[in-house]
Amino acid sequence: MTRSPVIETEGLTRRFGDLTAVDDVTFSVQEHSIVGLLGRNGAGKTTVMQLLTGQDFATSGEIRIFGESPVENASVLSRLSFIKESQRYPEDFKPKHVFKAAPWFFEHWNEEFAQELIEEFRLPLNRRIKKLSRGQLSAVGVIVGLAARAPLTFFDEPYLGLDAVARQSFYDHLLADYARHPRTIVLSTHLIDEVSDLLEHVLVIDDGRIIIDQDAESLRGSVTTVAGPRHAVERFVEHREVLASDRLGGLATATLEALTPAERREAADAGLELGGVSLQQLIVRRTRAHASEFGAES
Amino acid sequence: MTDLAISTPAVRQRGSEWQRIWNVVRLHFVNIGTTIAVPSMIMGLIFLANLAIWAIIRASLAPGDRTNFSEGMQWSGSTFYIFVYMLVVAVQAISATFPFALGLSTTRRDYYLGTAASFILLSAGYAVALTLLSLLEEATNGWGLGGRMFVTNYFSDGPVLERFFVFFAVMLFFFFVGSIFASVWMRWRAYGVIVLGVLLAALLLGAMLLIGVTGSWGAVGDWLVSNRALGVAWWSLLPTALSAVAGFFLLRRVTPRN
Repeated sequence: MTRSPVIETEGLTRRFGDLTAVDDVTFSVQEHSIVGLLGRNGAGKTTVMQLLTGQDFATSGEIRIFGESPVENASVLSRLSFIKESQRYPEDFKPKHVFKAAPWFFEHWNEEFAQELIEEFRLPLNRRIKKLSRGQLSAVGVIVGLAARAPLTFFDEPYLGLDAVARQSFYDHLLADYARHPRTIVLSTHLIDEVSDLLEHVLVIDDGRIIIDQDAESLRGSVTTVAGPRHAVERFVEHREVLASDRLGGLATATLEALTPAERREAADAGLELGGVSLQQLIVRRTRAHASEFGAES
Repeated sequence: MTDLAISTPAVRQRGSEWQRIWNVVRLHFVNIGTTIAVPSMIMGLIFLANLAIWAIIRASLAPGDRTNFSEGMQWSGSTFYIFVYMLVVAVQAISATFPFALGLSTTRRDYYLGTAASFILLSAGYAVALTLLSLLEEATNGWGLGGRMFVTNYFSDGPVLERFFVFFAVMLFFFFVGSIFASVWMRWRAYGVIVLGVLLAALLLGAMLLIGVTGSWGAVGDWLVSNRALGVAWWSLLPTALSAVAGFFLLRRVTPRN
């Protein structure tokens, strides 16, 4: 079954004066998938999401959400929700005011689910927003984003200040609710390992450009590490492209592009151990490689 | 398969345009702290302070001088503050709810229209309250102390409906001038507000200079007298409407900041 693209961008660019925050970005996101939008701080993740949700205006390029431009488009916006870490709430609001107003704006809002989450995150409903802890403030956003059940949901670093237990609880609910009510979720984060099991597709943005646009499965299989005695490792990688390497005494590891079965046998015969790489390590290495490419150019 | 994919976006939207605008109105009234509670409290405090002053003055005057005292207050400006404060309320209301409303997937257009409707409702509510207070002030002969706050010469001493309309129009004027300041603040922050303030001051001073140079102050006075407060209130709807339109176009390009 072919899934229709929910998000499509073409040559999307956003400049702030001299700074190009988003640089000629073209990608698409299929319906009913969980997509990770990953990258370092300041890479352009938030700006991309602000453009996709009509909160910011593109300098050039095109965006189509559900086939239409999202800018000032009520029929598109009513089907999406955007939960961002930096969301501002009216200062004299209490969480109860937020949960009173939010259902008016989201067609698929589920009150029962909202109540369940409020209890689970132990959110005080009657405390002023500005008196909430960072984690409690994040919980407000997470609950709105989950309970809204919007066909297209954006979460931008939604967990700031949440402890490990609360974060896990967010991931669990996200996955369980996604299974019951399939929708399209774009999750931006730099805690890549924590979410790597959730992601079906990965977009990595660096310096305003998309440098990886790949499904998570094939991305994980795209590199291999070889480990063993230093000489054996050095001999094995001699004519291969090394993404990263590490030495400790007489031992070494090297990260390489995916190996063919023949190559894997060769490595095993040389007494080397083969392993995978976590998504986080992989992205860190790719991002660094990207940075050095740019360094070489200038 | 493709049919299924195409049919998904056609899912029923939540309500009509009116519903979406009404949702923004409700959002403004979810928490009435900024828009109703604080202004009412301030007005209440001014009123109490006035009561205390009237009582003190009355106690220290000989009975014969009390009529003079009452006449001396026919031009009381105590309520003027509450009108100007609506400019502040407009700025506070917009700067607090705009980023939130956009976070709830509202378009700027629906947000502004809902906000304008809220300002009209608030103006009407305040105008009713002020009219009732002015009637009460007359009925109690100045709160039993001969004081004057809500009934002032020229401005609010006409028939009931006239008073209501004058109060209403002045409220609207300050709310919508406030919407310009709010939009400019949201878009260009302090720098923009300073520029706007200078522009408005220049406009006002320029008009005054023009009137002075052409020796037209007498004509202006005649105009104010012949139109009475009611006529002036009608005329004020023009700059109010212009402000409302300006606020709309300024806000349509605002990006919520972090």
